[in-house]
Amino acid sequence: MWSISDKGEREFTGGKEDWAAVAHIAENCPGFKPDDEDEMVADEAVSCYNCRYRRWTIKSFVCCK
Amino acid sequence: MKILVSIDDTDTMKMDGVEVRGTGELSGMIKQAIEDQRWGRCEPITRHQLLIHPDIPYTSHNSSMCFEADIEHVFLKPLIDFASDFLARESTPDSDPGLCVAVTDRISRPGRLIAFGYMAKNYVLTKLAAYNLAETLGIHLSEHGGTGQGVIGALAGAGLRLSGNDGRFKGKLKIKAENNMIKAGDICSRVKVDMVKCLEEGIVLQDDDMVILGDHIKPVWLYGKSVLLVQAIDQGVASPACWQTCSKSQLKDF
Ligand code: SF4
Repeated sequence: MWSISDKGEREFTGGKEDWAAVAHIAENCPGFKPDDEDEMVADEAVSCYNCRYRRWTIKSFVCCK
Repeated sequence: MKILVSIDDTDTMKMDGVEVRGTGELSGMIKQAIEDQRWGRCEPITRHQLLIHPDIPYTSHNSSMCFEADIEHVFLKPLIDFASDFLARESTPDSDPGLCVAVTDRISRPGRLIAFGYMAKNYVLTKLAAYNLAETLGIHLSEHGGTGQGVIGALAGAGLRLSGNDGRFKGKLKIKAENNMIKAGDICSRVKVDMVKCLEEGIVLQDDDMVILGDHIKPVWLYGKSVLLVQAIDQGVASPACWQTCSKSQLKDF
């Protein structure tokens, strides 16, 4: 589910459209914090895709928490 | 006169629990200040997605925010001074904020500004290119901390807003309607929406077409208009409405 980059960053391997997986991760993550409304893209309120600590990458996102 | 005010790269990742204002919020505060000081009237803010690339030092999403304002000539300099000071003061210390203020009908070659905006969605651009273009076109472009890298996104945001065909509006619209159902024409008369249109096909809804409102009512900037995108409802569902507003995930690419 996660790969570790050369820089030691944790990148989600499911890409940008694995809505169910990232909702599940975020629901179980103590670090989840909602991003600004304008930056949210997932319909599920609690989702890594809507989290303040996700940083988009070309293929997916890294978790910066 | 009409101006475009665009900012970029004012925030940082908030790792220490400290609340920091995002670019959208700062843009909203500049807009509010313009109205509070009676310098002019402002249009809603649009958010423009730029390229995500390892060579670009963005925070988490690399987007810029832009709005149009109609002001008197005499307020142009005070506005630029205010926005510059505001960004230097309010942006987070390790951000790289940039400010662009373009007087729309003084831009000598608007096509070049629009092209720069689209280039910033697809290529890694340099600060030098941004400054050179701004100077050529007679546009104010300034940096207010850090590396000043945000000037690229700020200029690009103005170009994309000027294109009339990029981005989604900041914030959500609130529309009261019985059973969350409303005519397309009533949407346009009650809130800042110029057109209700089908997401996938070129169908523009007629005034009497019924729409079911979801909880995410956010127009996009298309054809130089505020356009609310809707999708067809499965005809198997018994409802007087044939359309419903698009969800967040459906609008993510705008
Ligand atoms: S992005 Fe990171 S901090 Fe946020 S919910 Fe996902 S795993 Fe947790």
